[in-house]
Amino acid sequence: MTINRRGLLGAGAALGLLSACGSNTGRDEGGSGDGPKLSQWYHQYGEQGTEQAVKRYATAYKKANVTVQWRPGNYDEQTAAALLTDSGPDVFEVNGPSLDQIQGKQVADLTELFDGVKDDFNPAVLAPKTYDGKIWGIPQVIDMQMLYYRKSLLTDAGVQPPKTLDELVDAAKKLTTKETKGLFLGNDGGAGVLGGTPLHAAGLELVTADGKVGFDDPAAARALGKIHQLYADKSLLLGAPADWSDPSAFVQGLTAMQWSGLWALPTVQKELGDDFGVLPFPKDGAAGKPSVPVGAYAAAVSTRSKHQKAGKDYLKWLWIDSTDRQEDFALAYGFHIPARISLAKKAEKLRKGAAADAVRYTTDHGHAEPLLWTPAARSAYQDALSRIIKDGASPDGELKKVVRKVSAELGRVKKKS
Amino acid sequence: MRDHLRGDARVRAGRALRLSLLIALALLFLIPFYLLVRNGLSSESDITSPEWTFFPSSLRWGNVKELFEDTSVPFARSLLNSSLIAVATTLGTLLLASLAGYGLARIPYRHANKVFYAILGTLMVPASVTFVPTFVLVSSLGWVSTLRGLIVPTLFSAFACFVFRQYFLGFPRELEDAARVDGLGYWRTYWRVVVPNSRPVFAAVGTIVFIGAWNSFLWPLVIGQDRNAWTVQVALSSFTTSQVIRLHELFVAAAVSIVPLLVVFLFFQRWIVAGVERSGIDD
Amino acid sequence: MWGHQNRTLWFWVFVGPFVLGLGIFTYIPLGWSVYLSFFDAHNTVTPSDFVGLGNYTAMLQNEAFTDSLWTFLVFSLFIVPTTYALSLALAVMVHRQRRAQAFFRSVFFLPAACSYVVAALIWKMSIFNGVRFGLANTVLGWFGGDQIAWLSTTDPPWYWAVIVTVRLWLQAGFYMVLFLAGLQRISPTLYEAAAVDGARPGWQVFRHITFPQLRATSVAVVLLLVINAFQAFDEFYNLLSDSRGYPPYARPPLVYLYYTALGQGQNLGLGSAGAVLLALIIAVVTVGQAKWFGLGRKEAE
Repeated sequence: MTINRRGLLGAGAALGLLSACGSNTGRDEGGSGDGPKLSQWYHQYGEQGTEQAVKRYATAYKKANVTVQWRPGNYDEQTAAALLTDSGPDVFEVNGPSLDQIQGKQVADLTELFDGVKDDFNPAVLAPKTYDGKIWGIPQVIDMQMLYYRKSLLTDAGVQPPKTLDELVDAAKKLTTKETKGLFLGNDGGAGVLGGTPLHAAGLELVTADGKVGFDDPAAARALGKIHQLYADKSLLLGAPADWSDPSAFVQGLTAMQWSGLWALPTVQKELGDDFGVLPFPKDGAAGKPSVPVGAYAAAVSTRSKHQKAGKDYLKWLWIDSTDRQEDFALAYGFHIPARISLAKKAEKLRKGAAADAVRYTTDHGHAEPLLWTPAARSAYQDALSRIIKDGASPDGELKKVVRKVSAELGRVKKKS
Repeated sequence: MRDHLRGDARVRAGRALRLSLLIALALLFLIPFYLLVRNGLSSESDITSPEWTFFPSSLRWGNVKELFEDTSVPFARSLLNSSLIAVATTLGTLLLASLAGYGLARIPYRHANKVFYAILGTLMVPASVTFVPTFVLVSSLGWVSTLRGLIVPTLFSAFACFVFRQYFLGFPRELEDAARVDGLGYWRTYWRVVVPNSRPVFAAVGTIVFIGAWNSFLWPLVIGQDRNAWTVQVALSSFTTSQVIRLHELFVAAAVSIVPLLVVFLFFQRWIVAGVERSGIDD
Repeated sequence: MWGHQNRTLWFWVFVGPFVLGLGIFTYIPLGWSVYLSFFDAHNTVTPSDFVGLGNYTAMLQNEAFTDSLWTFLVFSLFIVPTTYALSLALAVMVHRQRRAQAFFRSVFFLPAACSYVVAALIWKMSIFNGVRFGLANTVLGWFGGDQIAWLSTTDPPWYWAVIVTVRLWLQAGFYMVLFLAGLQRISPTLYEAAAVDGARPGWQVFRHITFPQLRATSVAVVLLLVINAFQAFDEFYNLLSDSRGYPPYARPPLVYLYYTALGQGQNLGLGSAGAVLLALIIAVVTVGQAKWFGLGRKEAE
């Protein structure tokens, strides 16, 4: 690692004195093993204890000297920049890896690590880590999103938990009062977090199996139009201090329903007890089906690393062999579904109540963003979705433009392979 | 006589009007500071309470203690790093930019104007777009997670150089001429005559540079990979994770983070006005 | 003894270190960016896929980029005159104020010490959040108004109110100081002469003495305001971005380029092309403005 601690400390006597007063000198980063030095990066998790846990894992590994770096803020930007240089991580967590990172040979092929256990990984989250028949990242845990609703508020308003998108629009409208909004899809009205979820609910896909645009269909415009309806009805909560990923708005009673992640479940349970339920994103139209977005951060090895072999060994040890640690990581701090099917089945915490519902939705309706859905495609789609929702732009016209852009992008990445 | 009286009344009314306008605006300008402190000393539930109150139900000074005792964020350390970086950046920038500004303004050289425009031109290049190449360059020097890497690339401020040049263009020549008679060269004239007579402009530029260094975020975030190299702004960003935001801690940290700046500012602000007045920044 | 040879040497002793550093840390990355702009450079700074002007044409045909230029235009048409007027008004009032002058100057200048991150935090979470405990919505509530989602509503575009006020708060004091310095340089004899001529204190004096005398300051302030508006990034990014990206409205060029060139999308070729285009536009506008105001005149004399 390139850290120059001495340089920092030697810069002045006052500095040394004052730093002794600090409660944290950052020396508890693991790194007790022998062998090559590996630097491992994680993005900052909000759940208490996660940081200590991953450092504990690193310390427990004896065949390499692993140092954990816990990175706050703009993680994607930091890793993307660091991967261009020799000062980046050896092994790192990534919300991907992206197709361009794979095609640009920035991450190493990890296929051989999966020998004999490949089928134990949830196929929905393993698929986007696979390209060209090879696997480029080990899924760590599954994150899924779903709709939380407040039972008592629905009963008071005489509303059933919505089973279709139309019912959701109706319910949200009925639940909206002066103090409380019907539904919270994020401060941007849902353009960011929903992504392809409404399209899946309408029975479509972002990218088809043969690499074509999957939503060039009138059903797409119809479904997205209904999200605009939610906005136009003023049923959506907008501008909450904490965004959709944080259950604050829901538990504070700012909204009767909220789209959020499974990770929010412990807080919601603690604050509301039994007074809530969870649902998948409701289906739309005859061909529709409920839709649940899933995703997984993956552990990857940088090809810039001088110790690729050691890095792979370490990742195999942590994310393939050490099932106890995987279980600990998934369930002891936040609330995630283990990426390993065998572990998910075993998990006591996931067997009852809302958690069991969430697991069932994930198995039945889970869909991950495909690898071919590149950042450029995503931002074009997200811009269009925002204009449809907030500006009331014509879904047909906006989607046509997106289809054109995404087709071009798909052509670009195909040419490269 | 009556006219005179009426004029007097008008002047007085005008004064009263101006004063009340100033007071109203001052209150408006102070509200954000008040909110920062109010939220920083509130409990989480007070911040998000449906009934907005001017004062929180209790002032929780414990929030400050909690902030410095939070082991997940090295806040004290980050304050120290920021101070060190901001002071070093300020001193370095002042030295380099003032020397260059003086040279450009006072030492005759055939291509001085070309050099000046080459420096000025970089003002128009948005720094964030050369970000990735700069990072790769600094990284290839092996400067990632070092103080060098955090400080040196930010020392060459075209803006500061421009201000110094404009100021030195208007520096009284008589003072330099007297030094020349005494047999001093450029170097010693600069240090013995020019610098001691230019304190306000140094204070003005220094304050602006200090604020910029203290507040910069993206560069320290990407360069200071090690936790021990976190600056205040990086530490601040760590209170907002993708899952939860700890509002009261975020606000109290934000409040603490601007204290050093306010001190520097209040201390130097008289100098700043004087410095700007004499810098010819606007000539 | 201050010979020609010597002078050149001394020039470089003074200017050399600065120019050297600027060359390494600004010109090399700049040249590198220009080089990248001619390549398909996804996730690499050493590309091999030469595309000529492809990135430039793609950028110019890219609606998101051209939209961002419009956003800049709208933004600067609003922020430049507003900041100018507010800071000038503050300066004139503070200048005339005898009692507690230092107090008022400090109060208006203090926000300049705040970072955009902290200011955006206060604005987004405390003043202009969209729910009932936001200050703005509380005040609206006193008058029976409905809650407004300030940053999330595009019709009417309330987000401009948030963006403009945060920038005004942060910057007005700084420009006020520039004007104050200018005001202090106006010779008192001019005012005395005006009084003799019968000019009424107040608007007439301001119109005929103060304002014309501040011309040089005004030119500098407007130039700085325009350059700053072009470089606007922080308040937009801190107010409107979330973990999933940035909405398509109120997206100035630098924010758009940030998302193009950094992060996982890392299209460095396209991003660099956009940056070069932007730098060219800034240069043209600045030079044009300088010519228009006759800023270079003094140099030429």
